[in-house]
Amino acid sequence: MIVKTPPPHGGRLVERVVKKREIGEKMAAGCIEYDLKPTTDPKGVPIRHVYREIMSVCYGFFSPVEGSMTQNDLEGVLNERRLENGWVFPYPILFDISEEDLKSLDVKEGDRLLLKLKGQPFAVTDVEEIYKIDPLDVATRTFGTPEKNPEVVREAFNEKHPGWVIYKCMNPYVIAGKWTIVNEPKFKEPYDRFWFPPAKCREVMKNEKKWRTVIAHQTRNVPHTGHEALMKNAAYTGDIEPCHGILVNAIIGAKRKGDYPNEAILEGHEAVNKYGYIKPSRHMVTFTLWDMRYGNPIESLLHGIIRQNMGCTHHMFGRDHAAVGEYYDKFATQILWTEGIPSFGFEAPPNEVDLGLRIIPQNMAEFWYCPICQEIAYSESCGHTDAKQKFSGSFLRGMVAEGVMPPTVVMRPEVYKAIVKWWKVFNYPFVNNKYLENLDRELEIDLPPMEVPA
Amino acid sequence: MPHYIGIILDEKRLEQVKGTPVEEKIQPIFGGTLKMLVVEVPDEKSQQILKEFERARIDSRGFIEDVPVAFRRAVFEEIAKAKSLDVIDNVLQRLPEIQELAKKEAEYIPPPEIE
Ligand SMILES: [Zn+2]
Repeated sequence: MIVKTPPPHGGRLVERVVKKREIGEKMAAGCIEYDLKPTTDPKGVPIRHVYREIMSVCYGFFSPVEGSMTQNDLEGVLNERRLENGWVFPYPILFDISEEDLKSLDVKEGDRLLLKLKGQPFAVTDVEEIYKIDPLDVATRTFGTPEKNPEVVREAFNEKHPGWVIYKCMNPYVIAGKWTIVNEPKFKEPYDRFWFPPAKCREVMKNEKKWRTVIAHQTRNVPHTGHEALMKNAAYTGDIEPCHGILVNAIIGAKRKGDYPNEAILEGHEAVNKYGYIKPSRHMVTFTLWDMRYGNPIESLLHGIIRQNMGCTHHMFGRDHAAVGEYYDKFATQILWTEGIPSFGFEAPPNEVDLGLRIIPQNMAEFWYCPICQEIAYSESCGHTDAKQKFSGSFLRGMVAEGVMPPTVVMRPEVYKAIVKWWKVFNYPFVNNKYLENLDRELEIDLPPMEVPA
Repeated sequence: MPHYIGIILDEKRLEQVKGTPVEEKIQPIFGGTLKMLVVEVPDEKSQQILKEFERARIDSRGFIEDVPVAFRRAVFEEIAKAKSLDVIDNVLQRLPEIQELAKKEAEYIPPPEIE
């Protein structure tokens, strides 16, 4: 049973980036202009920027989505996690706008709107539909409720859940329509060397790396040896042999105070292959732009779609996958991928339904250090549960903040050095106010100047 | 349910508790590559700590984490002074001073000197 690279979700990769400058300039000419703004929480802190969604759609990470969703797409996603054309998709992707801005723009269906970023032309949207939403209703239906989704939702979502807050803080109008990037952005260092949009990623994995089977690893963290053990052991799945490749895909977007900086996350994972803990012929680091919604099972669907589009055959899912707090059952993602969640539209796992995903899930339990086995042990193998020493991310953060170098058995010295390198740049090991303000102003990209013909 | 605060001991801290009754309470973790003292915190006092520091939380092991560095330093100083792990009340008395120091470290923590 040889496993083959799955097709892109929806059948073909979306590619909506104009590579020829003259064409981009022509498309932008004569359009009504709008400067993209971040979504902010009630305190004014930026928590999402729609530019990241435009990037992920236009470069094909979110195939088959091609732009801001129409009302039918939105209802389909909220009711049964399906687009109007029937393909599975977990989250509303919306270009939202305030009533005030909408009035002053004076756009209507059929118009083309030029979206500017950092003062430069960035993308256009061909307006298909303008409609009103109730952000609170969208937020609540996106993540579910204990009453409607009793299989996995344990607590009602509230102000403490960052994903719910993103949707709740959206503007009440949506401009639906396909997006096209007319002025291709350039990533800053070190993002540029980790940027592998799906078409390129597929090509590199097939032709340069020569990987037939690839397992995806989701991350928003600097890797400790527990993550490394997860990657190495999960990769023993495959078909007639272990997976050829391990694709690390970091979710890069709005940050929360206390997270590690994006730069340290990417270079920390890179250090794992650069210094041979998993050699580069088997391990590669990439990222996707997305302001994480922490939707556990819902987020796992998006992760599956992104990595299937990038060409992965398998995806590892752990306990509390992409979770925060105790809103979902610890095993919600694993329940979704082993039996489905009917109240979310899945009578069967998402890779067993029509127009569903084709990536193969690899559900994993936990790794800990066992002083009796004297090794990093798998929770379903090691019988010394009482002696376990867990890898706790916050324990490690505490050690780092105190200036103690973690021992190699917990974190590789080169990974720690990546943290310290960026610590010296930002004068702080983690995300703080200054980092947030800078990220909000600078984003991950630069846009080349573009003159739009009148 | 009590919670815990783990204090990592580097060489300097180890030196300070050597020969005291605290020494035999040192727990080796991760194959002896780290040494730690564990202070037990009664529930009502851990609630006080959580309230005091916005980002503090209790992790899956029952340990109070994401507290300011100044707080951990104070815990260790009190241990070294009292030669005992029964120090949480002394630490809580120092909260105003710890809060002052914590404010400073919210924006700046000096990076360690490694090459
Ligand atoms: Zn064991």
